[in-house]
Amino acid sequence: MTHAVAVGARAPDLALPALVETADCPRVIAFVHRWHPGADGAALRAELRGLGAELVVVSGTGVWAFGPDDHAERVALLSPRQLATVGARFGVSGRGEAVFVVDEHGLVRIAHRSDAGLAGGLADAIAAAAQAMLADSAPAGMLDRREWNLAALVSGFAFVFLTGCKPRDRAQREAPVEAAALPEGLAIELDVNGKVRALRVDPRASLLDTLRERLGLTGTKKGCDMGQCGACTVLLDGERMLSCLTLAAMAQGKKIVTIEGLAQGDELHPMQRAFVERDGLQCGYCTPGQIMSAVGMLAEAGDRQLTDAEVRHGMSGNLCRCGAYPNIVAAIQSSRPGRP
Amino acid sequence: MQPFTYVRARTVDEAVAAAGSDTRFVAGGTTLVDLMRLEVMTPRTIVDISGLPLDAIEEGPTGLRVGALARNSAVARDPRVRARYPVLAQALESGASPQLRNMATVGGNLLQRTRCSYFRDGVSACNKRAPGTGCAAFDGYHRMHAVLGGSEHCIAAHPSDMAVALLALDAIVHVRGPLATRTVPIADLFLLPKDTPHVEHTIGANELIVHVDLPATPFAAHSRYVKVRDRSEFAFALASAAVAFELRSGRVGEARIALGGVGTRPWRAREAEAVLAGQPPSPELVKKASAAALEGARPRKDNAFKVELARRTVARAFEELLVAQDAKDGGGAR
Repeated sequence: MTHAVAVGARAPDLALPALVETADCPRVIAFVHRWHPGADGAALRAELRGLGAELVVVSGTGVWAFGPDDHAERVALLSPRQLATVGARFGVSGRGEAVFVVDEHGLVRIAHRSDAGLAGGLADAIAAAAQAMLADSAPAGMLDRREWNLAALVSGFAFVFLTGCKPRDRAQREAPVEAAALPEGLAIELDVNGKVRALRVDPRASLLDTLRERLGLTGTKKGCDMGQCGACTVLLDGERMLSCLTLAAMAQGKKIVTIEGLAQGDELHPMQRAFVERDGLQCGYCTPGQIMSAVGMLAEAGDRQLTDAEVRHGMSGNLCRCGAYPNIVAAIQSSRPGRP
Repeated sequence: MQPFTYVRARTVDEAVAAAGSDTRFVAGGTTLVDLMRLEVMTPRTIVDISGLPLDAIEEGPTGLRVGALARNSAVARDPRVRARYPVLAQALESGASPQLRNMATVGGNLLQRTRCSYFRDGVSACNKRAPGTGCAAFDGYHRMHAVLGGSEHCIAAHPSDMAVALLALDAIVHVRGPLATRTVPIADLFLLPKDTPHVEHTIGANELIVHVDLPATPFAAHSRYVKVRDRSEFAFALASAAVAFELRSGRVGEARIALGGVGTRPWRAREAEAVLAGQPPSPELVKKASAAALEGARPRKDNAFKVELARRTVARAFEELLVAQDAKDGGGAR
C-alpha cells in the first residue's frame, strides 16, 4: 500500500537493522533506482555539509549511508520486494524517485517526489531541497561565506544548519565498521573523544588513517604522513602526539582527543574561538593540528604564562605554509584569559 | 608498508621471547613507523613494548636511573635531570619537535636510524640499507654527512642529540636478553661503519634496552649542550657539542667532550679531553682542545665546513660553561 508522506509529519521508519536510527540528526533520505559511491560524490558531500545532514540512499544497488566527511558505506542490500516495501512507506513506487529532508525531530521538512525520476541527479535534487529550506527558514544574521568556512575549519565539522544536531553526536554515531573490516584484521578498541569504538584494523593502519577513513573524523589532517608537519596532531592521554606515526593498534587503552572532541556541544573550546577571533589561519589545512598542539602545549605549561618566544618554540612541530604564524601566536596568547 | 604481525608484549620477558632477527620492538614509533612506511625497514613482526612498565625515572644505585620507555619530553622536564645532568635535558629539548619528544623514548632514541637521504630513499646504493650495494653519499651530495668515523662504505651521520649527551655523562645502558641482563657502557654501544655499516650497535636482536643509568660523576652537573643547525628549531645538527668538566682550584679536572652531527656514531673526543685535563682554562686552551676534538676528520666536498663549525661549537659550549661557573662563583673562579 502506498501513501504520501506529508511535510510536517513524522517520517516513517526505514526499519533497517544495519542502519543506526539517530533521531537527533537531520537526514536526507533519497530513493533512486541505481546509485553507487562516486556518483557525484563531491557535489553530494558539499550539499550534505551545507545541510549538516547525513544521507541515506535507498537504491537497487543497496542502501548506502554517509555523512559529508565519510566514505559511503553499504549498510544493506535489499531484494526488489524489500525495496518496494520500504518505498511504499514513503509513498514511492514503481519508477518513482524521491528526496526527503527529515529534521532532528524526525519530522519531514521537504518532500520532493517525481514519478519520472529525479531530473539532474541526486546532488541537484538535494541542492534544490536545501534552497527550499533556506528560503523557508533562513535565520536573521546568517554567517557570511568566510565565517561559515572558519567555523567549519576550527570545529572540524560542517556548520550545522538544521538546529539540534550537535556535532559531537554526529561525530560519535556508530560507524558501521564491521562492514569495512578486513577478514584478517586486528580487533581493537579506541577511546576517541570520550567514546569507545570497537573495530577491526589492518595492523599497518595508522591512527590518522583510522580516524579519518574508518571513524569519519576528518578534522585531523594528513600533511606529510612522516612526522614533519604536525597537521595530524591529536592528544593521547592529554599529550600532543602525531597520529601519522602512531599505529592504530598502539593507541589502544589511551584517551584520544581529536579536534572534533574539543568543543562542548555548540560551545567552541577557547583555543578554537581564539583562532577564529585572531584569524589564526589562511587556508586552514594546518589549523586542526595547530589547535591541538596549542592545547597540548598550554597543558604542558600548566599555570605558567608563556612568552611569545616560548610559544614559537613550543609550536615548532606545526608548520603553516601560508605563514599565518603571527596570528597563530596571537591566538594562542589570547586564548588564556578566562580559561577554565 | 609491508604486512607484518603485530604483537603486544605484556611483560619484558614476553617481549624478549618474541624478539628475533625479523622482529623489531616499537615504542614511540617515530623512527620505525616512518621507515616502515618508506619500506626501508620491513620487519615480519613488530612487538609493541609501549605498555611495559619501563618509563620510570628514579634514583638508582649510581645516580639517576632512566627507564628505556621514559619519553624524551618527560626526561627533559624532570627537575633531577635538569639540576644534575643539564646537558641531557638541553640535548633532548634541542631535538625533533614537541610532539615527537612526547612520543620518542630513551631506548628508541638510542637506536634510531640515520637520516641519510640515500638510506631513506629506498632505491639508492646504500650499504646500511642493502649491504654490498655501495654508498651513494660518498661521491653524492653529503652536506649533512659525517666527517669523523666514516669509511668508503658509509659516511652517514648518527642523528641523535640525546646519545651525545649520554656519552658525555658516561651513561650505562642495561639490556635484557633471553638469559640475563647485562650492562653496556654507552661508549661501547655504537659501532663504526667500517665495512659493515648495517651493523650499527652491539645490542642483539633478542635483547631489549630496559634502562639507562646516569652515574653521579663530579662533572655531570657542570655540563652543557650546544647545537648548531640550519634553522633554530626542529632540525638535525650540523654540529653539536656536549661538554662537561669539573673545575678544581682554577683548573679543569675530569672533562668530557662529545660531538653530534659530525660522526658516524655519537663521537667522544678523548684527545680533546686529555688536552683540558689539569689545565687552567684559557682561550688558548679551549682552542687547542677544540682543534684536538676534530683531529682525524676526513671531510668531503660538501661537508668540509663542519670541521671548523664543530671546533667552534665545542669552544662555545666550553665558554658558556665557564661563564655560568663565573656567575655562580661571583666571578672568582677564573
